[in-house]
Amino acid sequence: MHTPHERYQQTHLAAQQGTQTSETIDRQWSQKVQEFQSFYQENLTLIYRYIYSKVGNREEAEDMTSQIFMKAVRDVDAERGPHSMQKWLFQVARTTIADYWRAYYRASISSLEELLDAGWEGPFNEEVAIPSEAPNERVQRILEALPPQYREVLTCRFLLNLTIKETASQLGLTEANVKVLQFRALKRAADLEPVVARTSKTP
Amino acid sequence: MAGEDQERFEDYLELERYIEELQAGNIAHPPADLTPERARIYQMAALFRSASPEAVDPSPEFIASLHARLLAEKDELDQDTVPRLPSVTLPDQSSPIQKEQEEKQPSITNPPTRVTRRARFFSRRSLLGGGAVAAASLVVGAGIGAAFEQSNGVSPVATTTATATPYSSSAATTMPIVPSDVAVPHFVANLAEIGDKAVRFTTDTLIGYVILSDGDDGEVPKGEVVAMSASCTHMGCIVQWQDADRNFHCPCHGGIFTEYGKPDKASPIRYLASLPRLETRVKDGKVYVMVPRGASVGNSV
Repeated sequence: MHTPHERYQQTHLAAQQGTQTSETIDRQWSQKVQEFQSFYQENLTLIYRYIYSKVGNREEAEDMTSQIFMKAVRDVDAERGPHSMQKWLFQVARTTIADYWRAYYRASISSLEELLDAGWEGPFNEEVAIPSEAPNERVQRILEALPPQYREVLTCRFLLNLTIKETASQLGLTEANVKVLQFRALKRAADLEPVVARTSKTP
Repeated sequence: MAGEDQERFEDYLELERYIEELQAGNIAHPPADLTPERARIYQMAALFRSASPEAVDPSPEFIASLHARLLAEKDELDQDTVPRLPSVTLPDQSSPIQKEQEEKQPSITNPPTRVTRRARFFSRRSLLGGGAVAAASLVVGAGIGAAFEQSNGVSPVATTTATATPYSSSAATTMPIVPSDVAVPHFVANLAEIGDKAVRFTTDTLIGYVILSDGDDGEVPKGEVVAMSASCTHMGCIVQWQDADRNFHCPCHGGIFTEYGKPDKASPIRYLASLPRLETRVKDGKVYVMVPRGASVGNSV
């Protein structure tokens, strides 16, 4: 049977356990806010570029990026480390893109998966990883792998943002020729892409 | 390659239309019902578009506006899960009395009032150790009364225990805290025994100190008894009298009170309210303090 003093001590000590002064908590809080800032800054650009490379326009990239981060604030478990959070973000991004494609492309599921996997570590990865390279780098490698004329037309239209007329002038072709050429160039790029991705992994 | 789609004039036109829309910076979608092969061509167009120098990065306005939205959303989420408890900081293990004077004063003007139930993106809960944080702090007050209960079932009257936040405890130093309709006299000591050292007394419902005034605080005339609650007005821990500096020291966060219960300048805790005064009666050389009725004084449960 505990004496009153012992009981008092027990309850008093129990209250002392686990913790921290308000000062420590405030300090840790601002640290956490800092971590959020850096996490946000780093990952925002990554996710935005990734989404942009799938939708091709600013407005939809912004919308979907917002969606993904709002979901993160709501659902992501606080205890994850930064790398785990990044993986989670890309997972959500992937799903968001798949939904988008389902709405606009009406392509079959299997082809969706193939499209999604392009740019990841490999086409049959079990675990969803973070893309091994930036969209820009992918574009560079594909360009290098293309036959010269295809490379030229895509450079003109996309990297230099030339119009059909300007491109035709640049390449010494008719406008009609350019339209056909760009179509075939993109088609070849699509064929090459999985091959290029598989053979040259970033170190 | 075998099995390729036949290229048609419309294919080139549709693709051109798509590329022009992208170049204009507009939202663009491919034509509906594309074959997987055609879909990949449009995918490539979007990918190559993202390599354009124009595309590059999110605009600063977008970055800032999304950031603000995220913080607002986060704040809102934290609000939704707040159980509306008073600030619940707990004492740390090291003795606060040994803290250096130059140490940054703990801020109790901005206590962490949010305790979220689920670990969100990040939350203070993940910083506070373990569960039942709030309950533990209330135990400090409840435990004292409970430990000294003579019988079961009577909870201590919470006048100066942990449920009182620093700002809600009485600002006036001389206002007695025990309402007259619940107060009964409790014998503390003979007047002759009380001098310039504080004498502690303990009842079911209060722990306090009595001391004789030597007239130096400008309020209580010399020779009169001053009685005050021993519950620190910060979080409710029982302050300890120290002969060395003739002050009361709180073992939890280092709060310091003068011999009459007023916050001392040297205290690391700022904005402490004075220890609440208790009414005294002196009769036949005996000093009584008016305390709330407790279990051992008569009444039924």
